[in-house]
Amino acid sequence: MSDLAVHFSGVGKTYPHFTLDDIHLELPTGSIQGFIGANGAGKSTTLRILMGLVHQDRGTVQVLGHSMPASQVAAKRDIGYVSEDLRLYKAATLAWHMSFVRSIFPGWDAAYAEELARRFDLKPEQKIKGLSHGQRVKAALLLALARRPRLLVLDEPTTGLDPVARHEVLGALTEVLADERRTVLFSSHNTLDVEQISDRITFIDRGRILDSDDKESFLDRWRRVRLEVPANAVLPEVPGIVDATRSGRLAVVTTDHYQPDLAAAYQKAGATVFAVEAMTLEEIFVADVRSRRERKAA
Amino acid sequence: MTPSTLTTAAAATSGPSAGSMDFAMIKRLVLKDWYFLRGPILGYLAAGALALALVSQAGEGTFFAGSILLITVLITIGIHLAMATVVEERKNQTLAFVMSLPVSPAEYTTAKIFANLLIFLLPWLALLVGSFAVIAGNAALPDGLIPFTGIVLLEIFASSFLILAVALISESQSWTIGAIVFGNLFFQGFLYYVSHIPSIGQTMNGPRIVWSPAAVNLLVGEIVSIALMVGLTFWLQSRKTDFL
Repeated sequence: MSDLAVHFSGVGKTYPHFTLDDIHLELPTGSIQGFIGANGAGKSTTLRILMGLVHQDRGTVQVLGHSMPASQVAAKRDIGYVSEDLRLYKAATLAWHMSFVRSIFPGWDAAYAEELARRFDLKPEQKIKGLSHGQRVKAALLLALARRPRLLVLDEPTTGLDPVARHEVLGALTEVLADERRTVLFSSHNTLDVEQISDRITFIDRGRILDSDDKESFLDRWRRVRLEVPANAVLPEVPGIVDATRSGRLAVVTTDHYQPDLAAAYQKAGATVFAVEAMTLEEIFVADVRSRRERKAA
Repeated sequence: MTPSTLTTAAAATSGPSAGSMDFAMIKRLVLKDWYFLRGPILGYLAAGALALALVSQAGEGTFFAGSILLITVLITIGIHLAMATVVEERKNQTLAFVMSLPVSPAEYTTAKIFANLLIFLLPWLALLVGSFAVIAGNAALPDGLIPFTGIVLLEIFASSFLILAVALISESQSWTIGAIVFGNLFFQGFLYYVSHIPSIGQTMNGPRIVWSPAAVNLLVGEIVSIALMVGLTFWLQSRKTDFL
């Protein structure tokens, strides 16, 4: 079935000091999409528009077939949402929250909720104020997952967690996401977190989508090439070069459209190729953001 | 992929259609607020009962102490409700949890107004009826106090709704505190103004209950003010585009 769980078309939102501009975003059903951006890039605004909590000034948003924000109630019946700035009621127990959410969602899976509580090492009778931050994130995840949503929206769920808690939350998330085919949109400024669980990646910076592709395609097409270039040699113009720095005879070229014949082209120009290095998602993200910012400034 | 390939399975989703109110959801949200406030409200009822006991005692000192305690309890309930159900919900970031549920902004606003009115009305009505009963049943207290008491307690109700409306519309602790200060200053002036209206001031220490045209007009004006604030709150809330 070739359909989209989320479709943003030309979406914009203008604030006095920030503009989300011309967002086009497609999330195929069943995919796990990482949404990467620096702090203040527009991730949370985008996800709030997706949830109908912020109304776009321009463009259209379709979520699970519903037009947003007009049909947000119908859409939210099938969305599980966990955000960095979402908190549960401190004075209530997890059991109270489970009972409250169960009363709203007919599809609440009580057995799954109990299983998640065990897996996350949570005690339902414990009050939220007695939980650590990591446990609170897990509690929010439990409440989102046990309603069996068709779409799971996670907005920086690992932010503010210590390394151990972050590892636990990501591990638990990876485990539950492997359980079944579920559409997930996971935002973070931490590329390692996103890389761990996503199969598609979207970069956003300063309110604009930079790039969106399968994770493997991202990792395949980005390369860093290290060269030794004789003083009189001129490197050929090759499409897809994102960055090229030269220090004496040494040069480093970064490309987002790597082809094996790139090295051959440089060698033909008299350069010696030392290494063609794969890049981590973080390196790709930083290179993409820097090159686009420089191009915009130029 | 094009927008036309988007799933149309959404049509199968159950529940009220877009634009209509889900009153079952509103009820859940009201009960949720009641769950968190039932303890303090019982405490306020106990303090209100103490105030009425003081008022019913012979002696000017206990009467004034009871009256001040009664007014303080009612004003505090209004402030507590708006702060706990609206301002703190935003400050403590539980608003994101509520709004992640299948709730529309209109349902959220309706739930907050219902919750605050119902939870406020419970102790308010109990203390209003209790006040009337104490005045009517105590020979030392003039029955003429009843209209004045009704007008004053209804003003506290209106003032409490003003605080709620400002909290909902502004979503700001500072503006809400401003509304609290304004409400209390207005209340002091209102007490002075009402007690100096001849048809009210001259009969409040008398043995008969006199519903003068001025007293009735004040009561009607207070009720109309509350209704206008309810309408204005809904209207302004419906124009909001950002809910987090």
